[in-house]
Order: sequence, then C-alpha cells, then structure tokens
Amino acid sequence: MVGFRASRAHRDERIALAILMACSAIFVVAIALILGFLAINGTKLFFQDHVSPLAFLFGTTWDGFGGHYGALPFIVGSLVATGFAILVGGPLGVAIGVFFSELAPARIAAVFKPAIEVLVGIPSIVYGWLGLTLLVPALGAITHTNGDGLLAAGIVLSIMILPTVISLSEDALRVVPNALREGSASLGATRWETISRVLVPAASSGIAVAVILGIARAIGETLAIQLVLGNAPVLPKSLLSPASALTSEIIIDMGDAPDGSPFRHALFSMAFLLLLIAMALIILIRLALRKRT
Amino acid sequence: MADAAMVNAPDVKQDLSRSRARGRRLVDAVATLLLWSAASIVVGLLLLFVAYLFYKGASVVDWHFLTGNPTAAQAGGGIGPFIYNSFYILLLTLAFTIPIAVSAGMYLQEYASRGRFRQIVQFSAESLATVPSIVMGLFGLLVFVEAFHWHFTALGGALTLTLLNLPAMMRVTQESLAGVPATYREASMALGGTKWQTIVRAILPSAIGPLTTGVVLIAGRIFGETAALIFTAGASVSYGRSAYDPSVWHTAETLSVALYQTHREALVPDADRIGNGAALVLLVMVLLFNIVARVAGRRLSRRLTGKST
Amino acid sequence: MVEAKTQLDVKMKVVDLDVFYGSFQAMKNANLDVPDRRVMALIGPSGCGKSTFLRALNRMHDLTAGARVEGNVTLDGVDIYAADIDPVTVRHRIGMVFQRPNPFPKSIFENVVYGPKIHGERNRKRLLERAEKSLRAAALWDEVKDRLNRSALDLSGGQQQRLCIARVLAVEPEVILMDEPASALDPIATSKIEDLISELKKQYTVIIVTHSMQQAARISDFTSFFLLGELVEVGTTSEIFTRPKDKRTEDYITGRYG
Repeated sequence: MVGFRASRAHRDERIALAILMACSAIFVVAIALILGFLAINGTKLFFQDHVSPLAFLFGTTWDGFGGHYGALPFIVGSLVATGFAILVGGPLGVAIGVFFSELAPARIAAVFKPAIEVLVGIPSIVYGWLGLTLLVPALGAITHTNGDGLLAAGIVLSIMILPTVISLSEDALRVVPNALREGSASLGATRWETISRVLVPAASSGIAVAVILGIARAIGETLAIQLVLGNAPVLPKSLLSPASALTSEIIIDMGDAPDGSPFRHALFSMAFLLLLIAMALIILIRLALRKRT
Repeated sequence: MADAAMVNAPDVKQDLSRSRARGRRLVDAVATLLLWSAASIVVGLLLLFVAYLFYKGASVVDWHFLTGNPTAAQAGGGIGPFIYNSFYILLLTLAFTIPIAVSAGMYLQEYASRGRFRQIVQFSAESLATVPSIVMGLFGLLVFVEAFHWHFTALGGALTLTLLNLPAMMRVTQESLAGVPATYREASMALGGTKWQTIVRAILPSAIGPLTTGVVLIAGRIFGETAALIFTAGASVSYGRSAYDPSVWHTAETLSVALYQTHREALVPDADRIGNGAALVLLVMVLLFNIVARVAGRRLSRRLTGKST
Repeated sequence: MVEAKTQLDVKMKVVDLDVFYGSFQAMKNANLDVPDRRVMALIGPSGCGKSTFLRALNRMHDLTAGARVEGNVTLDGVDIYAADIDPVTVRHRIGMVFQRPNPFPKSIFENVVYGPKIHGERNRKRLLERAEKSLRAAALWDEVKDRLNRSALDLSGGQQQRLCIARVLAVEPEVILMDEPASALDPIATSKIEDLISELKKQYTVIIVTHSMQQAARISDFTSFFLLGELVEVGTTSEIFTRPKDKRTEDYITGRYG
C-alpha cells in the first residue's frame, strides 16, 4: 500500500514538473517569436524594397505614399522626449526613493506610498488625456504657442517614469547595510552627507537599473505622448513645435499603410528599432548588475 | 556652554554646540526640505489629476452613460459595450496569464535545479517585460490577426495582453513564494510530502495573500492597456455588430481604446464629454483595483494562514 | 554611584542613564566615570545592555526609531544630550568602531579621508598626510601603502577592521568607542587589534565592549560589569577580576553565567 502511494506521488511529481517546465518554456518561445517576426518584417524595407538602412535611419523626409522613409524625425523625437523625461524624472524619482528609504516617517510613508502606487496604475491613455486637456492648454497659455510638442511629451513621460524610478531606487537603497549608515554617522556625518557620499554611491548599480528601466518605459510609451506631440513628421525645431516619435508615428500610420507596401514595412522597421533599443537596455541592466557582484 | 568645556579641558579642539557645523547643518536642512518637497509635489500631482478628472467627468457619468450604447454621429452616446469588452478581455487575459505565469514562477522559485534553463527563462522574462506595448501590438497583428486570419478579435487581444503581462505575473509569483518561511517547506517535506505536495498544500496557500494583491494590480494594468489592443482586438463597436457579444471571436473595442478613438476620429459632437467621462471611469476603476488589491490580499492571507494548512 | 577609584581626569561622566526601546527598558540607572586616556572595558553576558550603554555615549540611539535616552552623559563636563548640542559634533569628538568591520564600498584612501573631507578638509596633500598618519597609527600602513586606491572590500576582515579604526583616527576624536571590535576576527587579527588598543590609550580614551574576559583582562585599565540592563560594578581591571565586591560580578567572573 505504501509502495503504491509513493509511486503515484512520484508520478504526480513528474507530471507537475513537466507542466511547470512547459509553462516556463512559453516565455522563451514567446520572446524568440517576437524577435523573429519583428526581425523579418522589420527588415523587409531593406531586403525587399531596397531602401538603404542609412536612408531610413538618417533620412529626414517621411512620406509613406510618396516613397520617402526617413525616420530620423521620429528617432530624434523619441530620444529627446525620453532624454527630457530622464533628466527631470530620473533625479526627482531617485530623490523620492531616498525620501522613502531614509527620511519618511512611517505615518507619512503609509499615505504617500499608496499614492505612488495609484500613479503606476493610471493607464497611459488617461495620462494622454490629462496631457491633452490639462497640460497642453496650460503650456500653450504660458508660452503663447499651441502647447503641444516635445516639451509636453517630456513632462508627461517624466511623471510616468517616476513610480518605476522611485520604487526601484528605494529598493536599492534599502539593501545597503545599516552598518554603513552607522559607520558614516559615527564619523560625524550629517544625514545628507551619509546619503550623498555613502548610500547613493553604494546603491549606484541598483539606481542605474532604476533609471534604465525608466528609459525603457519612456521610449516605448505610445498613446500618452501621441496625444500631446502635435504629430508633425518633421525634425522638431524646438521643444514647443509639433513633433512625432517612433511609437506615436506607428499608431498614426499603421491603419493607412497598405499590406505589403514599403510604407508598412518602414513602420515595422521602426517597431524593430524600438525592440532593439529595449533589448539593448536589458543588456545594459545585466552589465550594471554584474558590476555589483 | 563653550566656557564650561574650556575650563574642564583646556586642550579641547572644539566645542559641541551647533555653531561649529553651521554650514553643514544648513546643507543638511536644505536637502531635507528638498526631499520632502519632491515627495509632496508628486503626491500633490496625483491629487491634482484625481480632482481634475472628477471635476470634468463627474457630471458626465450617470447610469445612462455607463450602460448606454455609443452613437455613430449624434450626441448622447454611452459606453456600456466598451466596459463590457474591457472586462471580457480582462477575464480572458487573466485566464491565460495566471496559470502560465504562476506555473513558471513556481518552477523558477521552487525547482531551480537546472541552472541553465532557469537563466534562459529568467532572461526571456526580463526581455519580454521590456517589449513596448505598441511593439507587442504589432506582433499580435502579424500573428493573430494576419497569420491566423482571425481578424480583430477579443481572443487575439487577450493573447497579446497575456504576452505583455506574463513577466509581471511571474515576478509576483516568485516574490510571493519567496516570502513563505523556509520552515513551512521543511515541515511539509519532513512529514513525507513530495515537493509538489509541499508546494500545492503548504506553500501556495501561505502565499495566496501577496499573490492576490499582485493579480489584482496586474488586472488594473490590463484593464487600462490600450496600445497593444488597437491593432489586435480592434476599434469598431459602432460598425453595427452585436455590442454585447459573448464570442471570443468578436471585435472588442475596450473602454481605453474608445477613449483614444474619441479623440482621434469621433464623429459625435460631444466627443470631449464622452472622453472626460471615460477617463474618469478608467481612473475610478484603477482606484478600485488598488483598494481591492490591498483589502483582499490582507484578508486572504489572514484567513488562509489562520486556518491550518 | 559606582566610581572608578582614581585621581585621573574624568573624560566622560554618565549619570542616571536610562535607555528605552519603545516601552522596553534596556538600561536602568547607570552611572559611570570614564577616566581620560585609559582603556575602559564593558563586560557582561549577551543581552546585558553593554552595547546599549556604549551607543548612548555618542548618541547613536538618535538613529534608531523608537529608542529613547534619559539621564546625563557629559564629555569634558558638557552634557552631550543638552538641547543646544549637535549630535553630529558629538560624534566628531567621540568616534566608534563596530562589531563587524563596515568599510564603505570605496577605495582604502577614500575610506580614511571620509571624515576629514566631510569636516571640510579639501587639500589633497594634507588629506594624504592625514591618511598616512592614521593608517600608521592603525598599524595598517605597511600593508596597504601600495594600493591605497584599491577597494577597501578587497582587504581581509582584520585589515578592514584596522581600516575602520584608521578611519576613526583620521577624524581626530578624543574618545573611541569600540563594540566588540575583534569578535568577527581570527586570533592573529585579534591580537593585532589588541596591541593597537594598548597603543591608542596614550592619546585617546578608549571604551570597549568585549565578550571575552581574557581580552578585558589583557587590554583594559578599568572594567565595568553589566547584567540585565544594570551596571553592577566598576573598578580597576585587577580589582574586578581578583576581588569583585558584588556577588553577581564574582559569579560571572568565575564562570557561573553563560
């Protein structure tokens, strides 16, 4: 009797393990398929339509029906909006991470932290709607322009990456051993000296990861910025002139680009480029974490 | 004070009062003030957003708006079918995401024996997590809409969202399992349980609290997702199909997609009114998901760990 | 009040010290005079409050949420808990070495000059001089002089602890508190630290918590015995180890407590 039950348990164990492994394998298959499909469809522009990759990457004229597939305006738009978000949202997010890890009294954290979690949960389309109906008119009134463009997109993205940067940099600071805080304090350092000279440097790789994931979130964001960019497929003249980004241009043009056309292939090339950037960021994170160990 | 110190110890290099480090104290005070302001500004922003959306949307949202049908070109349309589709796709997505991601999370957390496979899965999950949702949407378009000839369907949308949310769900599972004390495992194994029995009977029940919290928070994200759905589940309720279609093959414009379409190509004269209402409903849903996640997670873990397992 | 029988100058004086963690009282009514430029050992079984007592001497409890200190602690006659006293300045004058070495994840050089730098010294030449002087005083200079820019985390545990001592010396404190500084080290590293402490008392007042009675006997001039949150007895080290006045001290010395 015991022998029978033991073997049945053993069989269950093997079946369970097989199912669990199969589910795990789905992750591997999924990312491989995504890379494969995007690589094939994202390079048709070059191999099938014989548009040179340089003309795609550095061309400044975008006219899908007219045979011009220069994506530089969108690449610049994406990079500028993301760069703005990192310059504003990065330091602000790290500062708030420091606040939660080192300063916030328990009672304040109990109120502020759920607020930050709600901020993560707000859908990007709602951020876009807020940008469109609240931020753009406000910017327009202040600057006497239409208000849309890279500045508006940068501000929206800054807010959207905050929760990511805050929570990850807070985590990075929390794992810094308390012995370092005490060591610094015992040498007569003020709290700010301890934070700026010991804790932040000690948590630097974790903070780098926080910022990189912020970049990843910003560069892939679509609707929130599409609603505030003004959507002009030209190189932006200023932060306040209408512009476009890789993501927003895809969503605008995809419905119009005919099946099998170079126009459509160019949009997939832009998506493939976004995917490559995302993969590069993942590798960057791996490098940042390796430095730590 | 300084005098006292001088009398007692003539070789004292400095006194103890605040004045000695005044400049450094000032820097410290300013930094403290800035950190407090930074946190307060962000919380203030959130309050501003919530107040603004309520201010604009509160007068729009009523029973007729929530349950009514959208109109093609005249004012007074509702968002009923969009809400239905949002929940439909949400449940379908969870039905795929939870079993797959929880299984994978259990495998990585509890059966980490094969190092190489584990690393590959972990790396794949991280990569999957950074795929932008618009790119995921195009992948769904290539595979489900075109290669499978499904056209725009709730199923295709749900599968695309599954891919998008698998990594987060797996991570939640791993973290929930990691939070279970090692003694639970040892106790069950020592009683002669196999690993699988241990996981199912001892570990999963004690991890159910954080797991539920994670599921509900991810549900909130799925509910608000837009970019990945536009080219997979479609945006065409008003084309005259049955709005409350129970089939997984129906074109399913969700509330968030509808909000986007409202701005882009609405023909109705009261597009802003509908947009304000839809934005408020989305916000309220997110707030609800957050509250439910907290309350349910806490309740469940109390009940299930209180009961013997 | 228990007092060290001595005509020596009193460097620190503790009067009626209570320490609470929340509602738990970890130190009850402790009184102690700490003589200048001598080594004072604090001994007692685990959990007796000796570390709690030590951390009250440079206001480290300020950093712990829920910890509360009552009573007086004076340094050269000045109450370090008075309202107009800056804890940062207190810790400048009263340094501390911890149970486990806690070098910052920076270079050896940056560790040593951390204190001088935050206290305003920017001149690189003077910083180098200060680093060399402190590292020499901590008997570490010869081992690290060729690799000052290497990470402090590459050093052995014993070297790291001496680096932490050098880091304290570089601040030029008057009192050095040590919380079982050798407990995580091997015997050879321990004896180096002990030699160092005997050397340090020529210039500094040293207060050291130790779990080893042999260590207290070897390096200290005075010893105080703690039990269950009370300071039971203080005297010269030879008195405490040969003719303790209190029955509880005697029981501990003769090995009747764990």
